Amino acid sequence: MKQLRACSFMLALLALLGAAPVAKIQTMLAKPKVLCGRFDQSKQLVGLKKPLISNGRFCVVVDKGVLWRTLQPFPNTLKLTRDEIIQLRGERVALRLDAKQEPTVRMINSVLFALLAGDLAQLEKLFDVDGTAQDNSWSVTLKAREPGLAKAIGSIALDGGVYVKNIVISETGGDRTAIVFSAIQTGDGALTADEAALF
Amino acid sequence: MNRRNLPAWLWASVVCFLLAHNAYLWLGERLEPDSDILALLPVEERDPVLKKAFTHMVDSAQQRMIVLVGADDWAQASRAAGTYLSVLAPRNNLLQPDEQITDHSQQDGIALARQHRLVLVTSRDEAALRSQPKQYWVDTALAKLYGPFGGIRPGAWQDDPFGLFAEWIQARAQETPVRPRDGRLFVSDGGRQYVVLPFRLRVPAFSMAAQEAVVPLLEKARQAARKSNPQVEVVAAGVILYAAAAGAQAKWEVSIIGIGSLLGIVALIWLTFYSLKPIALILLSVGVGCLGALSMCWLLFERIHLLTLVFGASLIGAAQDYGTYFLCYRLAADGQSLDSYQLLRRLLPALVLALVTTVIGYLALALTPFPGLRQMAVFSALGLIFAWLTVIFWFPALVRAGTVKSAPLVQWCAASLERWPSLRRRRSTLWVAGLFITFAALGLSRLEGQDDIRLLQNPPKELIDEQIKLSRRLDAPAPAQFFIVRGATSEAVLQREEALTQRLEPLVEKKIISGYQAVSSWVPSLRTQETRRQLIEQRLLNDDGALAALAARIGADGQWITAARDRLRAAGAKLTPDDFLKTSAAEPVRHLWLGQVAGSYAGIVALRGVSATSLPLLQQAGGGLDGVQWVDKVGEISAVLARYRKYMSWVVLLSYFAIYGLLYRRYRGATWRALAPTALASVATLALLGLAGQSLQLFHVLALMLLLGVGVDYGIFFQEHPGGRDPIAWLAVVLSALSTLLSFGLLSLSKTPALQAFGSTILIGTVTVWLIVPCFGHEPPRRLERVAP
Repeated sequence: MKQLRACSFMLALLALLGAAPVAKIQTMLAKPKVLCGRFDQSKQLVGLKKPLISNGRFCVVVDKGVLWRTLQPFPNTLKLTRDEIIQLRGERVALRLDAKQEPTVRMINSVLFALLAGDLAQLEKLFDVDGTAQDNSWSVTLKAREPGLAKAIGSIALDGGVYVKNIVISETGGDRTAIVFSAIQTGDGALTADEAALF
Repeated sequence: MNRRNLPAWLWASVVCFLLAHNAYLWLGERLEPDSDILALLPVEERDPVLKKAFTHMVDSAQQRMIVLVGADDWAQASRAAGTYLSVLAPRNNLLQPDEQITDHSQQDGIALARQHRLVLVTSRDEAALRSQPKQYWVDTALAKLYGPFGGIRPGAWQDDPFGLFAEWIQARAQETPVRPRDGRLFVSDGGRQYVVLPFRLRVPAFSMAAQEAVVPLLEKARQAARKSNPQVEVVAAGVILYAAAAGAQAKWEVSIIGIGSLLGIVALIWLTFYSLKPIALILLSVGVGCLGALSMCWLLFERIHLLTLVFGASLIGAAQDYGTYFLCYRLAADGQSLDSYQLLRRLLPALVLALVTTVIGYLALALTPFPGLRQMAVFSALGLIFAWLTVIFWFPALVRAGTVKSAPLVQWCAASLERWPSLRRRRSTLWVAGLFITFAALGLSRLEGQDDIRLLQNPPKELIDEQIKLSRRLDAPAPAQFFIVRGATSEAVLQREEALTQRLEPLVEKKIISGYQAVSSWVPSLRTQETRRQLIEQRLLNDDGALAALAARIGADGQWITAARDRLRAAGAKLTPDDFLKTSAAEPVRHLWLGQVAGSYAGIVALRGVSATSLPLLQQAGGGLDGVQWVDKVGEISAVLARYRKYMSWVVLLSYFAIYGLLYRRYRGATWRALAPTALASVATLALLGLAGQSLQLFHVLALMLLLGVGVDYGIFFQEHPGGRDPIAWLAVVLSALSTLLSFGLLSLSKTPALQAFGSTILIGTVTVWLIVPCFGHEPPRRLERVAP
């Protein structure tokens, strides 16, 4: 059950990589086959004065999955494919969820793939999508429709243009995470050799 | 009113009472035979804990049904499940979807667990707490903190910075492969996707009315689900399906055996006496026998099992013996001026002996610890007694000289007896004896014992297949193999469970079993809780522990450390099984907690993925632990069957001596002649079984006991008359044997292996006794005219 919630949480966040108040944003977003870039994460914990800073690279590959590599301060890799979710802490597999046993894995992936294909209907099943869109920028907030899920995730805000630029997650406990995307690359050259090897 | 008729009138009032009671039972109480499929299983009454454990494991299953609706993809499966449910929805007074297992109910249990999360740690993490350095925990916490999207974790990071509780939750989730998905329960076998639909049966599973309502409903739902998409697979399992199959089978057998025997008897008597009155008389005695058996059984047991009726239907064949015997002699006595009362007085000793020996035969069944068999035995014995009393009390009044007329069968019988060979000291006898001994030795040497539980139950293969499929998909715990853990207090039980599960862990790791379930996994013993609290205090929360080191890494001050420490310590309160069992999250393991039984406490450790090869290893794993008992119900039942097979074999042997003693007072030197046919027939039956490649079961032995009761009657009927070759006795034996053949022959067609073994043994045995009993007379037969005793 917890797992479901935790995974749904991720799902929500992944959804943000391209989410939208539906039709207009959908037309605005580019849908490249390969999308890679840098992310900078800043996490503000309750009771801590200084935010916790980390950064790394991410890749989204149609038909393959998603790679999320934290490089600083600790190397940590999360790989989502059609069949499994694997978390690598250094070389060690810290977590492996098999899609055959855990339906959430499939759910996350199916939503993710639907999202990359521009199918926002899937996302709207789970979230209330509320937002605005101008000529070349947009911003939305998402709230899980299911109260239990909403309580676990909190609210999520994101904005962007052709790609997602910022994600802010506000947890119910007061912790706040902001992610900024930059240096977006698309096309076959976007993946580095070691990233390609991870898939 | 004639004084001689007084007993008849008294008996009439008893019969009136039986009629009234039966009318009340069938019409007023709406008596419904129950189809409890466990009735034939032996009861374990000696140990109340064991008994309760078994009841818990069975009852938790009895009123449940689980249905899997599968398809190649989830959307199809989910749609088909929707259709399936919509068919059942209007009848939720029969079957109600079990809400308790769904997502929502888990929340309160998780909420409780969260309050005690400090002590809820997996054994692997507990070991890591002991062995891993401080740095390991700092790294773990940082990885969770910096990990993508805050890491995969329940609740806020600061509630569980080291991820111990998350691991524990994960481990509990691993106890079942079933997952919530889109508001349904999901399981997969890797290829197909299944919706799991648990139901609670709101009518008793063993009620036939309930079965007749539920089974067609499920079939309708199955068809509806498959109609839109034929590749949809529906797998259903539940005790009610077994009970319904057993019930329908038994009902069919009752009617076949009952109607078959009745028709046969009517035909036989017609052929013998060529008039309706004897038919009416015999049916009367059989009828009173059945009514009496039903009434008394109900009063004694307060329920009638369907299998009792199946077995009881064969009573029709046995209960007519006494009436037929009386009528045969009435026929013979017509030549003399002997009225029916005088005739009865003359026949009484033989009738008493015949009844006593048969009742002894039946009551031997009641010596076994199988409640179903006991009821069958009591039912049959009572039926015989009531039929017998009807003959004794009513026949003299109802049957006068001239009531019965002789038909060709009587003459044919008498004639056949004259041609029957008899045992004399001559060469051919030796040859026959030699042949028989060879045959017996050959057959008996091939006979092997068999004590499989399937003798008691033989459900249709489709049901078993579906059950196996479902258990595999759900990785369900074995219902018949588990550990019982006892202790003086609930704390002691939990501690002992922990000692046991520690030994089971290696078996899980080696994949010998897929897992175990125990309340102690959810509620650690207070001792373990205390150990963990100290361990966490020492390794993580201490001033030089991981928490402080972590704080330094993330730039947190002393205030933060104090706050985080207090927060974690607040979640370290004692958790007791009572608190946990109050939450609905305890539902999946509630039946594993037996609580206080007979002055001590007990719990069950259930096992998943048990196979034949893992059984000895499991038994070994539980060995030498205080208060831990390995229970293998299947093995135990087989052991009971084996024990009673041997034990009852001795009882049969001793019964021969007992009956010899009983008969000796009357027949003296000729007693062996009354017993020998049955003894030889028993040996022949066993030898035939051996030659036919059948293995010896308890039920063959029990049937031999009954054969003794029935077969000796024939010997008695013969020995009652000087010379032991009386044509009328022969007639009675022929009629009795034919009707017994019919009844037990039909019983041997039963699908219940136990009854089938029973029927076929009696069938072979009776034929043999019948064929050889005239051989044991010591005089050539007298002619019919000289019949009078």
